[in-house]
Amino acid sequence: MLYSSLLFIYGFFPAALGIYYITPRKFKDIALLLESMIFCGAFGLKYLGFIMIFTVVNYVAARSIYSLNGRNSPMRRIPFAAALIFDILSLFSFRSDILNFLSLKMTDNFFAVGISMYTLSAIGYLIDVYTGKIKADVNFVRFALFIMMFPRLIMGPVVSYDYFVRILKNRRITMNGLGNGVMLFIKGLAKKIIFADTLYMLYSAIKSIGTDNIAAASAWMGIIAYTLCLYFTLCGFSEMGLGIASCFGLKFPSSFNYPILSSRIRYFCSRWNIQIVQWFRKYIISPISELTESKLAGRLGIILLWTIIGFWYGFNFSSALWGILMGAAILLENKIQKLKMLKSTGIIYTFAVTTVLAIFISNDSISASVHYFFAMIGGTGVIVDQLTTYFLRSYVVALIITMYAATDLFKNMISRLMQTRFRIVVSIFKPVVMMALFAICTALISYSGCSEMILVRL
Amino acid sequence: MKLSNKITAAAVLVFISIFSLSTMFSIQNKSADERNSARLPRMSWSSLADGSYCSDLNEYTAENFSGQGSWIAAGALIKTEMCESVVNGVYISPERLLSAEISSQDSFEENAALINNFSEKYDGAVYVAAIPTSAGVYGDILPSYLQQVTEKQQIENFYEYLDADIRKIDAYSILKMLSDNYIYYRSDSKWTSYGAYCVYRTVIQKLGFLPVSYDKYTVHHITDDYKGDLYKRSQYMESNSDLLDVYEYSGGAEITGCTAYDNAGRGYEWELYDVEAAESEDKYRLYLGEKMPFVKITANVNNEKRLLVIGDDFAACFIPFLTQHYSEIVFVSPECMELRLKDHIDIRDYEQTLFLFGIDSLSSKIKDF
Repeated sequence: MLYSSLLFIYGFFPAALGIYYITPRKFKDIALLLESMIFCGAFGLKYLGFIMIFTVVNYVAARSIYSLNGRNSPMRRIPFAAALIFDILSLFSFRSDILNFLSLKMTDNFFAVGISMYTLSAIGYLIDVYTGKIKADVNFVRFALFIMMFPRLIMGPVVSYDYFVRILKNRRITMNGLGNGVMLFIKGLAKKIIFADTLYMLYSAIKSIGTDNIAAASAWMGIIAYTLCLYFTLCGFSEMGLGIASCFGLKFPSSFNYPILSSRIRYFCSRWNIQIVQWFRKYIISPISELTESKLAGRLGIILLWTIIGFWYGFNFSSALWGILMGAAILLENKIQKLKMLKSTGIIYTFAVTTVLAIFISNDSISASVHYFFAMIGGTGVIVDQLTTYFLRSYVVALIITMYAATDLFKNMISRLMQTRFRIVVSIFKPVVMMALFAICTALISYSGCSEMILVRL
Repeated sequence: MKLSNKITAAAVLVFISIFSLSTMFSIQNKSADERNSARLPRMSWSSLADGSYCSDLNEYTAENFSGQGSWIAAGALIKTEMCESVVNGVYISPERLLSAEISSQDSFEENAALINNFSEKYDGAVYVAAIPTSAGVYGDILPSYLQQVTEKQQIENFYEYLDADIRKIDAYSILKMLSDNYIYYRSDSKWTSYGAYCVYRTVIQKLGFLPVSYDKYTVHHITDDYKGDLYKRSQYMESNSDLLDVYEYSGGAEITGCTAYDNAGRGYEWELYDVEAAESEDKYRLYLGEKMPFVKITANVNNEKRLLVIGDDFAACFIPFLTQHYSEIVFVSPECMELRLKDHIDIRDYEQTLFLFGIDSLSSKIKDF
């Protein structure tokens, strides 16, 4: 039951919200946890069993580390290491085939939804407890919510435990929060169903041609569609989650800040999946860079950071290579940053670089990525063919709309209009547009009941 | 701004509540039979454990969602405006709707093995006709990326898995040659009665008879408002309606009996053409009525020949042509059958057996018979 399914939108969500609202304040966490358990259980009782075990293991480990911390005992390394190994093994066993012999998947079609997110949350928590930055929470309900709270189960955001607790404590259920939440949810839903799914159709159609027969222009169109689709999928799920959380009175930070069409690669990187990049920087790169102050180590740190992020996305060598190249591109850009460049030129080169590099994250193997790259530079000997014109004719409107929607131009225009006498017009049209978007999304998923086109399973 | 946020939230929540409640009420108000036909998912430990219960429940919600037809139609309109004309796996062209789903060939070997096993235990002659869908015959309308494996190739691949002594019928070439005629519905993947007749002419000669010539039939147009499976999937408003025809041979053999049997072996008086069904939601039931595991048809033909036909929906409008040549025909639909074939009939009573399936049915696993 993804957020973008009829059962969730018209069944689970209103029921969960209703129950949560009528529950007395002191039991709200328990209500939210029970609802989250039902949400997890909808993916299968096996999944619910797994996530419960995961939660208990991390809770017990953190409590043990904390109590041994107090006695300054070196024994605290044992629960710390054991829980870390357990978390990492869980992540690998679901995201890659390396540990298939562990049979943790239980069945081929069982995937622990959101494991890449809550594994990072759990590891971050264990590290913070181990290093003494925070206390291990006694409250199991709160910790279980940290791991499996349904609005942030699928796409996070991954935040530190103390920050999460602050958000829980600052919970305020207001009509305005509900309004913001509903609007954010609809925006995310539209990004996933209207934009990402349309782009997925284009990408999968082009991909099905095969790299030996594809025209260069089609290959370009395919990878542009992939880049935008990846962005709208991740951002869509993230915003849906944030919107739901906001309806429940919880305000989490957003993960994407219009990274597509940034004017610098480093701007792109700082706006893309913000909390994930911060997590890897905080828990992996910073401790390493503290060991040395050399510039070379700093540069290698950037490459290492993006290599790990790339690997985390795809769990294969090709996606790790994407990370290496992204890191290298940032370093190269730092070298030439003194060169004066128009904003539009910057946008074009950033988009070109990030799109070309996306080849490596879109393919499972480096050889497939290289093949696709050759097709893009005319390796098949065909630049434009009949299919290219067919795709262009069919998708030109969608591509233009999605490119525009990927920028903050619309948001800025609305903000500017709100400063003028047109603010009343905007205020009237906003609910109308939102309702229209919501109805369009319902119409688009009414046949299958769900938007199932997923590029990456995190 | 805060006010407009509140108005949006209130409007969306009211909208959600209206559709949630009306969907729930419409499910409640449906009769038990209707609910069963829409496959209300059954709760079991295994389905709860692997999450399939929730997926089925979501599907069930979609099928029963308030105003579902209109929602799908609106979705189709949006999709065709926004991107290429592929809606819920249906390609929309000005002339006709075509399935855009590239069917898998994974089940071919297994399905062919079922027929081979049958043939080994059977003394009579076995004939197989794999029929292309409309996308196979009119595939050149589709964009080239959807034509990578043609149905012609698929049928050839399927026939390769069959034993040498099984007689294979090349329906594809016949239908392709006649593609300028009304041989396939424009809103359905299946052939029309005329398409079935064109293939019948070849099949019946292979079975050892002379075909009844076309001019001996009186063709009755039962309805001109048939919207087939591809329309149901896409709900594309502007798609053309189709004609459902009945072929009557007044000077030919008369049907002396037509009985359908359910899985418990209970017999029901049946008809070759259920004209009343043409007025119902499922108009295609005109041909051989509601789907049943077994239908036995007897005719006053001057021979003792008996034919066993095992097939799918493609066979339903084909069988009436065969009735002119056999004193008894039994049509078996594995899709509806719960028991095995031997529990119902003795296959040795039939000298010939014809397997007649659409290639799309052969792409998924056929129930063992």
